[in-house]
Amino acid sequence: MATISSPHPSADTNAAGRDAKGRDAKGRDADHGPIDPVLLSILANRFDGIVREMTNTMLRSARSGVINSARDFSCAICTGDNKLFACAEGLPIHIFGSDIQTQYMCDQHDDIAEGDCYLHNDPYSGNTHPADHAFLVPVFCEGEHLFTAVAKAHQADIGNSLPTTYMPNAKDVYEEGALIFPAVRIQRDYETIDDIVRMAQRRIRVPSQWYGDFLAGISSARIAERRIKELARKYGVATLKAFTGEWLDYSERRMRQALRRLPKGRLSRDARHDAVHPILPKGIPINVQLELNPEEERITVDLRDNIDNLDCGLNVSEACSVSAVMAGIFNSLDSDVPRNAGSFRRVTVLLRDGAVIGRPRFPHSCSVSTTNVADRLVNVTGAAFADIGDGFGLAEGAVGLGIGMAVVSGKDHRTGTGDFVNQMHVGTNGGPASAHADGWITYGIPVVSGLMYRDSIEVDELKYPIRIRRLQLDTGTGGAGKYRGSPGSIVEYGPTHGPMTVIYPGDGQEEPPKGVRGGGDGNLAERWVLRADGSETKLPNAAQVVLEKGDFVRGVDCSGGGYGDPLKRDPARVLHDVLEKYETVERARDVYGVVLVQGSDGTLTVDRDATETKRQDLEKRSGL
Amino acid sequence: MSWPTAFADYRISVDVGGTFTDAIVVAPGGDRFIGKALTTPERAFKGVSSAIANAGQQIGLDLGDLLKRASLIIYGTTRATNAIVTRNVAKTAFLTTEGFPDILVMKEGGKTLAHDFSVDFPEPYIPRRHTFEVLERMTPEGVAEVPFDEARAREVVATLKDQAFEAVAVCFLWSITNPDHELAVARLLDELMPGVPYTLSHRLNPVLREYRRASAAAIDASLKPLMQAHLRELDNDLRECGFSRQLLVSTSIGGCMTIDEVAQRPIHMAKSGPSMAPIAARGFARLEYEDESALVCDTGGTTFDVGLVRDGELAYTHDSWIGGRWIGHILGTSSVDIRSLGAGGGSIVWIDEGGMVRVGPQSAGAVPGPACYGRGGCEPTVSDAACILGYLNPANFLGGRMALDEEAARNAFGTIADAVGKTIEETAYEVLTLASEIMIDAIRDVTVGEGYDPNEGVLVAGGGAAGINIMLIARELGTRELVLPKEASALSATGMQFADILREEAATFFTSSENFDHSGVTRVLSDLAERLREFSLRFGASCDHVVQLYAEARYANQVWELEVALPGPKAETDEDLARFVEAFHQGHERVFSMRDPHSAVEFVSWKGRLRTKIGVEPGGVTAGADKASGTARSTRDCFFGQAQPTATPIFDGRSLRSGQQLIGPCIVEEPTTTLVVYPGMKATTSAHGNYLLTTS
Repeated sequence: MATISSPHPSADTNAAGRDAKGRDAKGRDADHGPIDPVLLSILANRFDGIVREMTNTMLRSARSGVINSARDFSCAICTGDNKLFACAEGLPIHIFGSDIQTQYMCDQHDDIAEGDCYLHNDPYSGNTHPADHAFLVPVFCEGEHLFTAVAKAHQADIGNSLPTTYMPNAKDVYEEGALIFPAVRIQRDYETIDDIVRMAQRRIRVPSQWYGDFLAGISSARIAERRIKELARKYGVATLKAFTGEWLDYSERRMRQALRRLPKGRLSRDARHDAVHPILPKGIPINVQLELNPEEERITVDLRDNIDNLDCGLNVSEACSVSAVMAGIFNSLDSDVPRNAGSFRRVTVLLRDGAVIGRPRFPHSCSVSTTNVADRLVNVTGAAFADIGDGFGLAEGAVGLGIGMAVVSGKDHRTGTGDFVNQMHVGTNGGPASAHADGWITYGIPVVSGLMYRDSIEVDELKYPIRIRRLQLDTGTGGAGKYRGSPGSIVEYGPTHGPMTVIYPGDGQEEPPKGVRGGGDGNLAERWVLRADGSETKLPNAAQVVLEKGDFVRGVDCSGGGYGDPLKRDPARVLHDVLEKYETVERARDVYGVVLVQGSDGTLTVDRDATETKRQDLEKRSGL
Repeated sequence: MSWPTAFADYRISVDVGGTFTDAIVVAPGGDRFIGKALTTPERAFKGVSSAIANAGQQIGLDLGDLLKRASLIIYGTTRATNAIVTRNVAKTAFLTTEGFPDILVMKEGGKTLAHDFSVDFPEPYIPRRHTFEVLERMTPEGVAEVPFDEARAREVVATLKDQAFEAVAVCFLWSITNPDHELAVARLLDELMPGVPYTLSHRLNPVLREYRRASAAAIDASLKPLMQAHLRELDNDLRECGFSRQLLVSTSIGGCMTIDEVAQRPIHMAKSGPSMAPIAARGFARLEYEDESALVCDTGGTTFDVGLVRDGELAYTHDSWIGGRWIGHILGTSSVDIRSLGAGGGSIVWIDEGGMVRVGPQSAGAVPGPACYGRGGCEPTVSDAACILGYLNPANFLGGRMALDEEAARNAFGTIADAVGKTIEETAYEVLTLASEIMIDAIRDVTVGEGYDPNEGVLVAGGGAAGINIMLIARELGTRELVLPKEASALSATGMQFADILREEAATFFTSSENFDHSGVTRVLSDLAERLREFSLRFGASCDHVVQLYAEARYANQVWELEVALPGPKAETDEDLARFVEAFHQGHERVFSMRDPHSAVEFVSWKGRLRTKIGVEPGGVTAGADKASGTARSTRDCFFGQAQPTATPIFDGRSLRSGQQLIGPCIVEEPTTTLVVYPGMKATTSAHGNYLLTTS
């Protein structure tokens, strides 16, 4: 049955000029004095600084590469009444849901006190997926629970039944096997509750690595606690409360203005995640419907026309379903609009219980909730915006956690008994073209949008017993367009002693990232195993493969889709692409209609007349 | 050669900035003089000589006489940084291990705004078409898994010659554990392209992480032709004017170096000027408060630089980017941690769609500049706020070089005041507070990253615009010790006077506390010490040399290392190891408020730093303070947050007696800077002519 979910209920104005929450026409709450536009700016700046400090603390003190090298974590602050308040630089897929987690914490505990910290990774009560451990610290000012600091980080291991945090084939949560902490208290009076730590350490691979990240997560949330209390002492609790109201209202105003600039209309777009063998040989169909209403300054997103939950790990949690469409929307709007409960008031998201995208039904697994289907959802939302017209939205970006982002595990012969398990981040994946720019080269996947760091080859070879023998851009592959998608890259690595297990959840081998408005699609991903005996075998879309010494895997990333007609691309850009070896002379001519000639001194230039003729010719042919 | 450590002769330091060239001349006896001139990018010497001559006038010596009597000139410049930013550098080739041509393209990933798709991916520092792969491969253990293919490398070098490359950067994977292949390329370059400068990554910057080594090598090589010519030219120009002694260059590691050395590693000029500000701050913190910790804020027209000194040591970083983090280019080398924020007097004040007041990041720059400059700027800026509030002397701005147009400033602020719903003066004051907040944010970013409490040490203010709001910033930070040096407007040039010669040697050698390679570490450390000792011999036995050793270490499985000073050079016994490990725990606790006593400690690389003492102590007295009147020159209407003005005494800094206490509100006008003492705050002139400030 369909139910309606809105991240936050809309605030329609009644006849008296006040909405249900008592805000006046300027959007100010009646029960607090006005916050002037300068103080608003000062305090917004302070909160931004606090989240940045949380981020730096996590980044620099965490152990696993997935956090401190790849930056797969994010920090946020929710209000005491559980509204998402501030998230700076957080991964797009982590935008939404912290508020559901803090709400759940409040619902489960009637004795929340200063000095508490809670661990939450339950995708059924607001978390993204079990691999993200969220540390929730309630912040008390003058005895009142005013905010909750949330530090969320992807762990290297969470005790799954296989040595990976991504389990696309898990039939249900039991087969997945993750340890689940539904807002479990891990600190009381600032002291760690060791029972929980001992429990986790028994079941999590490389427990010392996990424990280091556990400490880093708590430190990150605690630093926010300290700073917010300082702020409350300086400005007073009343001012902080007034500010939180005004900041959310301000954010809503910014969102309203952004939405006002969109045309009115309904958009519907379909996408497909690659086959999931054996349960879904035709892949997972995805649908998003958007209703843009500039008069009401509102977007309604309908995700209800999606299939039921699947018996695999690709179900998308509520947090990820909403985050992914929000990311697609924010990608298509002014990037300066704050992302919080205020701006989210203008977006209504319709979700269905028991759907693959929506609110999952227990005990379906959401192990891979943050990436695969969610990536397709970010993409299809941005592409739907492109359907409005030139200048709107963006093409689809590369999808697929492949070889370059696989989880590797095994025994490290160099340390004798040492086990290792962690996610690699060496691939790049091509970014999508937009209406204004070419694709970002180190894009990652749609849900991280270029924010993550990449591993150093040398650091990976030092940390794991592997040899990386190649990592380079796969040039000439970017989706063509007036603005072109970025090429992906090719990576090859294998164990120095073996055996080593490589596990990846895949996608991108069947359905390419789409170009928009006449732009070309990105190319497909490929994954290969190259055995020591010289044989080369193409791997399935998602796989677990064991390598012995001498074996290698090869990953070819998807490239990003193009935006607009390639024949409209500025010839100077095409020339630059050829000179810089992002494109070939042949593709410049055949795809972009740009004819390049070599001068007597060897320099390439655009032959304007020949280009004009060639472009007319190509245009005629495509018209046939 | 002998080294001028006493005040026998004149010592000159010159800092060439974007707009101004500053000179500090220390006279025999210790008196200091500030000279200023406009920077002349087309020929640096013109600005340099004018600034020195300007100081000379105050002493009563012409340029030639002053240069003849100068025992030492220390030179710093933004030239290298500008060249990197504008890519106005040599045509440089990048040689890399086959299979890895995109190290400079992919960098380490990262992006600031997730939802911003409006900009193209940044171009690599060296174009892809200038990148060449060489067949070879070393392992982490230093084994040549793929042997160096000399024949093909020879072809590559021949191509470089054909294509007339002017410089070459070489970075192979794991050259830090076995440099043979980089050295083999060097031999080919020497043979086939003699005289063309090149940089080998393992030699310049032997650190783990290929992008950092590659970027350092690329930047360094690309600067060589340009900076070598620049330094040679400056040296010749100075000598033609009569200078006959030692010319040193200030470097990114916060020391000085001979021009021969810097010409070999010009990347160390990238933060040549800014790296000197913390040294000045350390000097003033010691002098005025006997404190070993200091925070320095250097406010220019368009940038706000923040640096740190802790327990007498400057803060260093490996994470310096030119042209913006992630999107620019990493220096890769260790350098003084100076964070630069695009904020200053020129930052534009605006109101966004949601009705919030914002400051920057757009700047009115030097042209057209703030509205009050009267050069056609009409957007409100932070300087306009200061002008409206009466803090700037309209008739004597920049020592009378510019008249201020207060009417233009007020016009520019009209719409902002309307939106805020207050008077123009009240609004201007609030905007100044907001601008201070943004600077405070930058300060917190630096201090927090180092685990430094901003109110634990001395805050030293520098830059021509520092005095306008430094007391507001200090009050907000809770700073108890605050000093505005008399030479605030030339803080970097002042720092050069206090700086020593510094030289670093580093090596990568991986070992863990669980399985510590005592003899390996001993060998590495003694090798570093020996290389530094050899270097020190150049300066003769009369100089005072100190070597400090450092390790880059981390807890097992951490990815980023932390640099910690080693308690001693010995690594032979388990007790030595225990001391290393404890030094790391302490460092980790200081920076991250957390130690993990049960974890193994992994040591990744090692560094030695040689300090050859040549800096002067920051004492000294500025001439003339004894016959000062100590009275206010005039009063002016100024605003301090109220709608009504306050008649505010204006002092001429040169007429203040030492030890004189000034109670706010008042304003002190120095020839090159202005100090605003807010109501309820206090300024005291020290015996050395600096301003000691109290905010409560």
